[in-house]
Amino acid sequence: MKKAANNKIQSIVRACRIILRMIEADPNTRHSQKMYYRMLLQYYTRLRDARENGQFIAAHTVFFPAEILLAMDIIPMHTETTTWMTSLFTGECGDILAAGARLGMATEICAPHRGMAGAFASGALPRPDVMVWSNMVCDNTAKSGELVMDICGCPGFFIDRPFKDSGLEKTYMAGEIRDMIAFLEDKSGKKMDYDRLSTIVERMDRQIELTRQVNELRKNVPTPFSPLGFLELLTIDYLFPGQPESIEYLETLKAELEEMVKQKKGAIPKERFRLMTLFIPPMYLMSFLEKLSVESGAVSVIEPFFTFWGEGRLDASRPVEAVVEKAYMIPETRMYGPLGESALEAIKKCAREWKVDGAVYYADVGCRHSCATIKLFKDALAEVDVPVLTIDCDVVDQTVTSEEEVRDKMERFFELLEDR
Amino acid sequence: MLSIGIDIGSLTTKTVVLNNGRFLASVVSETLDEAEISAQVAMTKALERIDADEDPLRFVVTTGAGAKGVSFSDRSKAITTCLARGIAYCVPEARAVIDIGAESSTVVKTNERGKVLDWANHDKCAAGTGIFLQQMAKLMKLSFEEMSELSETASKGADITGTCAVFAESEVISHVHRVPPTPMPEIILGIYLSVSSRIKTMCKRIGANEKIALSGGVALHKGLVRTLEKEIGQPLFVPDDPVCVAALGAAVLAGEEIQKETAQ
Ligand code: SF4
Repeated sequence: MKKAANNKIQSIVRACRIILRMIEADPNTRHSQKMYYRMLLQYYTRLRDARENGQFIAAHTVFFPAEILLAMDIIPMHTETTTWMTSLFTGECGDILAAGARLGMATEICAPHRGMAGAFASGALPRPDVMVWSNMVCDNTAKSGELVMDICGCPGFFIDRPFKDSGLEKTYMAGEIRDMIAFLEDKSGKKMDYDRLSTIVERMDRQIELTRQVNELRKNVPTPFSPLGFLELLTIDYLFPGQPESIEYLETLKAELEEMVKQKKGAIPKERFRLMTLFIPPMYLMSFLEKLSVESGAVSVIEPFFTFWGEGRLDASRPVEAVVEKAYMIPETRMYGPLGESALEAIKKCAREWKVDGAVYYADVGCRHSCATIKLFKDALAEVDVPVLTIDCDVVDQTVTSEEEVRDKMERFFELLEDR
Repeated sequence: MLSIGIDIGSLTTKTVVLNNGRFLASVVSETLDEAEISAQVAMTKALERIDADEDPLRFVVTTGAGAKGVSFSDRSKAITTCLARGIAYCVPEARAVIDIGAESSTVVKTNERGKVLDWANHDKCAAGTGIFLQQMAKLMKLSFEEMSELSETASKGADITGTCAVFAESEVISHVHRVPPTPMPEIILGIYLSVSSRIKTMCKRIGANEKIALSGGVALHKGLVRTLEKEIGQPLFVPDDPVCVAALGAAVLAGEEIQKETAQ
C-alpha cells in the first residue's frame, strides 16, 4: 500500500515531512505550528501504516464523533479532511475528482465528496474496514457514507442527529451512538473502553475551553493569531478530538498568543482589516491567501461556524451523553437544519465583540446547505454595519475559481473597507 | 495638477481628464494587445484635446484589465470604486449604478459620497453582457438601433435563458427556425428580458433598490434600457456619457489623491 503511485496518504505524509523540515529550521515559526504539523504527520503516518500493523480502520465523515473510535483503539480516517489535505499539500485533486466523475458524480456536488468517492474508487485512499457517518452537517455527508460502502464493499453505520435539541432528541441520539458502538464492537472485535472514553471527553471539554480562551485573545487589536490560523484549530478538532496532543498544542498556542498580546505584537506587520471568515477558503489557494493577507493587512479574527463554540460543558461522567452534547455545540452545526435566530445572533455577536471590519464568505458552489445562508448572513451583518464579500469557489476543485479572480475580488473588497 | 482616469476595458479604453474637479476632456479608443500601450494611446489622445496652457503635471489612476501593470500609473483602483465615484460626479442623486460592459456586468450600491457600500458582478459567462448583445445582433443581422425599434412592437418576449450565452444563442436560433418562426420583435424582447432579469437579481442581491443609474456602452441600447426599467420597476438615470463613468471615477480618485498629497 505504501508504494501505490496514487496513494494520497503517502503524498500527505511526504508533504508534511518536507514542511516540517522547513519550519523546524525556521526560528520565526510558532512552536505551536510545528506541533500542528507534527500532529498531522503522526495522524497520516498512523493511517498509512494501519494495514501493515493489522489495525482496524474506520472511515468517517466530518463531525462524526471520532472520540468513540479513539476510545476503542480504532484508526480513524477523516474522509473530507483527507481530501482537503490532498489539495492543500499536493496542490492538486484533479485525479481523484476525475475518478469521482468516472463514477458518475456530477460536478454540482461539493468536491470533497466527489473527491472522496473518487479517491476510494481509484485506490488513492486505503479501503476502510467500516464506514461510519452521520447527517452532520449536510445532505451530501448523509449520502456519501453509503457511496463509500458501495465502492469499498465494506459494512457501515449511520448516526442520525436530529435538527432540534430538546432532551428527547438527545436521548434518541445517545441511543444511536450506543447502537453504533455495538456495531463497531461486532465488526472490529474490540470492546468499548468507557473509562478511556470518559478521559477523552474530559480532554475534549478542556480542548473546547482552550479554544474559547484562544479566541478571547484574538479579540486584541492587533490580533495575535495568524491570518488563517483558524484552520489549525479546526483540523485538530477534526483529527485529534480529546487527545493529549491537542491540549498540548492549544496550551502552547495560548501561551504564545498571551506573550504577543503582552508585547502588543500582531500576527501580521500592519493590521488593517479584521475579517470574519464564513465557510472554508479554497485549500489550493492557501499560500496565496496567506501572502495576500500579509500584503493587505487582512486577518481573520473570528469564524462563527468553525471556532466559535456554543455554550455548555461536557460531562465526562456520562461520556455517551457528552458526545451527544458536543454534537449540538459544534460551531458549524449552527448552520445545520433551520438556522434560527441564535445562528444570526451568534454572527452579530462575533462581529461586535471581535471588532470585525468585514466578512468573507467562501461560498462553496456545491454546498447548497451553506450557500442558502448567504443572504441571511449578509442581512444580519448589515444590521451591525459589516459588509460581506462573497467568493464563489470550491474547497478543492480548482476549476471553479482562479487565484486571479479571488485576488481581484479581495482587493476590491479591501478598497471598499478602506474607503468607508 | 491634472487628474487623469483611464479605464482599460476589454474592447475600448476610456480616458477622462479633470483639473481640480473641472471636466476637461474624455476619449474612447480601441483597447490594444497590451494594457500599457492602450493606456498610453488613450491618454495621449485625451491630452491632445485640452488647452496647451493647462497644468503639465498629472496624477494618473488606472482601472480595469491590466491596470496595475501600466508603468506611468500613479495608482490603480478597483472598477467598483471608480464606478461609484464616477456616478456620484455625474449623477449625484444616484445610489447605485448598473454597469454593463463588454464582458461583464456589475451593480454597485453607493452612498451620497460616492463610496461603495456593496457590489455584485457577473463575469463567468457572456450572458448579460455587451458581447452577448452584439452576438445576438449579428445573429439576427440587425443593428442595435433596429433591435431597439423592433423590441418596441413586441407584446411579449420569447423565453430565452439568462444564465448561459451559449444556450441563449441556440434558443434564439430555434426561435428563428421554428414553424412558424417566433416573430423577431418577441425574440429581441426575450433577449432584453434575459439580460434584464440577470441584472435585476444582482440589484436585489445587494439591496440596490432605488435611484439607480446605468453605465457602460449598453446604456446606449435604448430598447434594453426600457426593458430594464420595466423589469426593475423604476426609471434609470442615464448619464450623458455612460461609457466613461469608470474613467471619470478614476479621474475623481486621482483628484482625491492629489489633495491627500498636498495636505501632507
Ligand atoms: S462543503 Fe457543504 S456540502 Fe460539502 S461537505 Fe461541507 S457542508 Fe457538506
